[in-house]
Amino acid sequence: MAETILTVEKVSQHFDGLIAVNEVSLHVDKGEIVGIIGPNGAGKTTLFNAITGLTTPTYGRIVYRDTDITQMKAYQITSLGLARTFQNIRLCSGMTALDNVMVGAHSHLHSGIFSQILRTKKHREDEKAAYEKAMQVLELTGLTAYRYEYATSLPYGLQRRLEIARAIATEPEILLFDEPAAGMNEQETSDLMEFILKVRDMGYTILLIEHDMRLVMNICDRIHVLDHGALIAQGVPAEIRSNPDVIAAYLGKEA
Amino acid sequence: MQKARKEPLVIRPKSEIGVPVVMQFYAKYEAVIAVCFLAVFIAIPAVVNKRYVTNVMIDCCRYSVLALSLNLLAGFMGMTSLGHAAFYGIGAYTAAIMSTRLGTPFLINFLCAFLIAGAFGFVVGLPTLRIKGRYLPIITMGFCEIIRLVELNWMSFTRGAMGIGNIPTFYLFGIRLKEPMQRFAIALIMALLTLWVVHAIVNSRTGRAIMTIRDDETAAGFMGINVFYYKVLIFTISAALAGVAGAFYAHNTKFIDSTLFTFDESITILCMIILGGMGSIPGSIIGAIIFAILPELLRDYVQYRPIIYGFIIIIMVIVRPKGILGGYNAKYIRQKMRGFAGAEGKEAQHG
Repeated sequence: MAETILTVEKVSQHFDGLIAVNEVSLHVDKGEIVGIIGPNGAGKTTLFNAITGLTTPTYGRIVYRDTDITQMKAYQITSLGLARTFQNIRLCSGMTALDNVMVGAHSHLHSGIFSQILRTKKHREDEKAAYEKAMQVLELTGLTAYRYEYATSLPYGLQRRLEIARAIATEPEILLFDEPAAGMNEQETSDLMEFILKVRDMGYTILLIEHDMRLVMNICDRIHVLDHGALIAQGVPAEIRSNPDVIAAYLGKEA
Repeated sequence: MQKARKEPLVIRPKSEIGVPVVMQFYAKYEAVIAVCFLAVFIAIPAVVNKRYVTNVMIDCCRYSVLALSLNLLAGFMGMTSLGHAAFYGIGAYTAAIMSTRLGTPFLINFLCAFLIAGAFGFVVGLPTLRIKGRYLPIITMGFCEIIRLVELNWMSFTRGAMGIGNIPTFYLFGIRLKEPMQRFAIALIMALLTLWVVHAIVNSRTGRAIMTIRDDETAAGFMGINVFYYKVLIFTISAALAGVAGAFYAHNTKFIDSTLFTFDESITILCMIILGGMGSIPGSIIGAIIFAILPELLRDYVQYRPIIYGFIIIIMVIVRPKGILGGYNAKYIRQKMRGFAGAEGKEAQHG
């Protein structure tokens, strides 16, 4: 059996009376690409937010490796080895692409404020490590030529890619992509699919939310379907495609 | 670090690189310009040798400390404080009370002002920095007023409205540093140390972290940045640096009272960085110098001063909302000037 690295056990997220996510359980094994699909408002991003520590789930447990991360804050979860991107791109507008990626290396640097002010050897080593890490990731993601451009001046597709590069720079084991193909045209989506497969081949495990069926069906090993906050189906793409519940959720039931 | 690369810095037309030629020139010769500027800055009071001119130059240094420390917080981390004058006042009262009652030398007072203003920053920051964005200016404004009222009314400690006078001047190893040029030297060293600290923080792991917090707080958390820790840290450092400027003021003018550390003063400091450039170190210094010299030039029109300040801010917001140097980062400009060969390759790739 494959090695499970992320387990979500009966996670629910309530916002006052609204149950946005209802007892969702899933697991992600090493080296997989797992997709989460569902109609708008199904609770996909809410689930992501609960996993990555932006919100704390109302009920349930989230375990990464042997660590219970349910109550942890986002920055703690990131330093353990989970990284994510966002549905609406969240890059730093005041920084170059290079600096954006260098930010990703943050939790692997150790210089304190005093060594920064005194410019000690530790600080210099840190800066060197961050720079080298960033350049390496930019190279991997094909963004080297754009490193000195302001992040938000890049074309949309490259901004998405830069966000992924920044997530990779945190040295995660598992990457969570929230609608990576949102707003992309046919060609950009195809490039993205290739890119995600390339990222997987580098040794990262991927959990992604997506609306673009072509992308999901082509690259995911397993798919989970959410509707009204609950898991209604799971399986390999072929099973999902023919599942009557999924078809009903997307197209509506016959009267 | 990214220096020691061999590619030359070539100044190119704005259309090619997207940066005005003047700024490219500045970025290329930043070190030389900084040294020349410092030389002129020292030469002016030395050559002119008038008490009045030297005192204005001292104000330039003191304001630079205040503007740099506030810019670290407001410009680089994006947390606008309207209570900077409170920490400035706390530093001034610390130095004044210690030197008049305990007779401690100025360096000890500077250190204590740094620590006590920093401690106040820490204590105020802990609860307030949990609150999101726009409430911070209001809370810090309230804090500024509380501190002013304490200074004004705690008779036994601060002498209230009478203020604290006869504050000893600077003594170092028994030597009295009373001459304007000696006081100028102390002010300049203080400003240069602040410049060093702010520059070092900004160009480090912490600097990248706080700029990420400024640009997107949520994303910062997902980059492994402990947002709350950095907010408190920078708020504390900013307050502590303002405290040193206060201690200097107390020893330099020998008299302080609560009217010097009001909300108006906070606004004046904020205006310096709005004018000079949010998130710009040279901008902070330019803003500070303008606001040190302008009141002297407008001496005959004292009653119009607030109107003129207001106009300057309005015009700036319309013409250059980022401030004189805001939005320009010399390091980035240099990188771009060097990396332009790469950018040409990119064009070729796509063309």
